Amino acid sequence: MNPKRCAACKYLRRRCPKDCIFSPYFPPSDPDKFACIHRIYGAGNVSKMLQQLPVQTRAEAVESLSFEAKCRVEDPVYGCVGIISLLQTQIQKTQTLLARTQAQIAVAQAKHSQTQISEFM
Amino acid sequence: MMSYLRNPNSPIFSILLSSSTTPNIKSILFSQQNQKLVKRRDVMSGGGNTVTAMGGGGCGGGSGGGGPCGACKFLRRKCVPGCIFAPYFDSEQGSAYFAAVHKVFGASNVSKLLLHIPVHRRSDAVVTICYEAQARIRDPIYGCVAHIFALQQQVVNLQAEVSYIQAHLASLELPQPQTRPPPPPPQHHQSQPLFFSTPPPLSITDLPPSVSPLPSTYDLASAFNQAASPSSWATQQRRFGDPRHQYGGSLSTSSATVGLGGGNSDLEALAHELLHRQGSPPPAATDDSPSRSMSR
Repeated sequence: MNPKRCAACKYLRRRCPKDCIFSPYFPPSDPDKFACIHRIYGAGNVSKMLQQLPVQTRAEAVESLSFEAKCRVEDPVYGCVGIISLLQTQIQKTQTLLARTQAQIAVAQAKHSQTQISEFM
Repeated sequence: MMSYLRNPNSPIFSILLSSSTTPNIKSILFSQQNQKLVKRRDVMSGGGNTVTAMGGGGCGGGSGGGGPCGACKFLRRKCVPGCIFAPYFDSEQGSAYFAAVHKVFGASNVSKLLLHIPVHRRSDAVVTICYEAQARIRDPIYGCVAHIFALQQQVVNLQAEVSYIQAHLASLELPQPQTRPPPPPPQHHQSQPLFFSTPPPLSITDLPPSVSPLPSTYDLASAFNQAASPSSWATQQRRFGDPRHQYGGSLSTSSATVGLGGGNSDLEALAHELLHRQGSPPPAATDDSPSRSMSR
């Protein structure tokens, strides 16, 4: 048995083969990462997903899966859609602030022009 | 699709509709909305589920009315009374949605997830699960995280524009006359703000948390790159403030600095590449930001 099993094989209590698909992305130092992903997606589904991806993109896929899984664990109802909602709310607020500030600029510029005209008179 | 088809004012419905990166979901929701909501099935009595009373063109159903629900149809199993999926996946179009959910999450995982959620919130959960599943199928690498990245970049650009415009306003309101007003601010969000040579980096650690309090245990930025040195852009990121301070009042601000010191260069590269794929050109780095390369 490989003494340095990856976190996935440790969690699944199995031997960690040399070509384990999980081992590059789930080091034994971070067992929670795989636990979270397995709880939401399941090891089999993650394995299938990774097998369908090019090797160079798997690390990013694992990180995004990990992020989504953690969001889902912490908020089982909304998951990372809650974050999308908050971001959209912030975008709306910022757009409102932008529009308001642009209106204030228009008013300030109009006042400035009037001041200049009155100085000429 | 779900009970929310019957309630277009629900927040989840508006979130999914406004998502410009999920045209499939949007078109599906619209087509579902236009269908006549005629079917109301007597759903199983097992859950006492108030949602089950809502019929819909794309939802409702149950084993009571006759015929399996979309999930059981897809799984080719008998739809028992009390089937947890029946209220949310009708037999007509629910199979298609459930196919995506099953492919990404797996039926048993979704079932366990729903069992831990109060009945009155399960419809929201199913909608978000379907959304994530569809996003993951459409983009197997980033899923809906790509959308989150794009939104946060939009927030950052808007905040930069607001800062610029507020400075312009301040200069106009100064008592001493100005010789010349500053040039007009950039009109579209993808242009670089004048005050900053480069827009602040995108960092998942600065993403706002979900509505429920979150522990600060996860740190995607440091997960992406443990070894990267802290970026000078991190200070620019802090200038905009941590979105978490603005959102969750119940959240501790101690979680705000998670990952910022850990180094974001690879994450920034990932964010820029995502944006490039989404169609928005990544901003050119003009300062001495660390070189970015995608971790492969």
